[in-house]
Amino acid sequence: MIPEGERLEILEKIGAYTAGELEGDEARRAEQLILENEDNQRLSEAYTRMLILLSVMGQESPVTPDTVVDYAVQRAYYSALMRQTETFFSDLGRSYLDAFVYYLGLRPKQESYGGGF
Amino acid sequence: MNTVDRDLSARAAQGDLSAFSQLVHEYSDLVYRVASRILGADDAQDASQEVWIRVWRNIKDFEGQSAFSTWLYRITVNTCLNARRKDSRREQRETRDDFLYLPEPPGGDNDPEAATLGRERMSEVLKALQGIRSEHRAALVLRHLEGLGYAEIAEIMDVPEGTAKGWVSRGRTALLLTLVPETGSHANGGGLS
Repeated sequence: MIPEGERLEILEKIGAYTAGELEGDEARRAEQLILENEDNQRLSEAYTRMLILLSVMGQESPVTPDTVVDYAVQRAYYSALMRQTETFFSDLGRSYLDAFVYYLGLRPKQESYGGGF
Repeated sequence: MNTVDRDLSARAAQGDLSAFSQLVHEYSDLVYRVASRILGADDAQDASQEVWIRVWRNIKDFEGQSAFSTWLYRITVNTCLNARRKDSRREQRETRDDFLYLPEPPGGDNDPEAATLGRERMSEVLKALQGIRSEHRAALVLRHLEGLGYAEIAEIMDVPEGTAKGWVSRGRTALLLTLVPETGSHANGGGLS
């Protein structure tokens, strides 16, 4: 009986070999593993079929619903509008505050350093 | 990075809405495709919308050191993984027990029956993908469905390349075990010495 961890390691090794991701000694060891055991050959075939299926699926692209694009663009416009509105009102508020401070005479008197008067 | 993307992303970062709109139109398929493969079709739409909100909010931080698509992949994968974490019940979703055969690849002929069968098998694979640990699934999708290299996967997932390889490998094995449960007992170490 092969320990669980070792079995998974063999599964991963065969998967990596089938996906063409092993080189050199590692690839040769995986080849040996596959050639010397029928179950492992079946595993390799199963991996091959799965990878072909994944590859075919990879070439297909689901159609993006129009709502996704529309929503993204609308949100950006809304966000930009809110940002501009916020900037406008904060600038306006600051101007009013400055005017009010000036009106109440709370702004420190600016001293003159020139002219000698 | 291609110059058009660089120009569009730079303009979008300045608040140019038409540039952002162009980016959305150009890349919405990529985002939706990856989201639907990681999360399944039901949640892909919400996740895609969330991705674009994040892109708009964060595009000022995109410095152009990597391709725009790599940056977008990263936001998409992170958004999908966060969505999965929020709904941890999905992690325990059981896959069908009666899937005891390995799907044959769909034929290349024009046989509608074969095409239907191929489509059914693909949907079974997509369903089986949902039973795999999130990080492993995302890495597997990027590698075998998006066709990316390990260096780019590592950059997108913000992990070392070795970790990305390990995640793909474990995801691949988990997918096979889900599709063909009996393969777990087939792996035989005999002959490896």
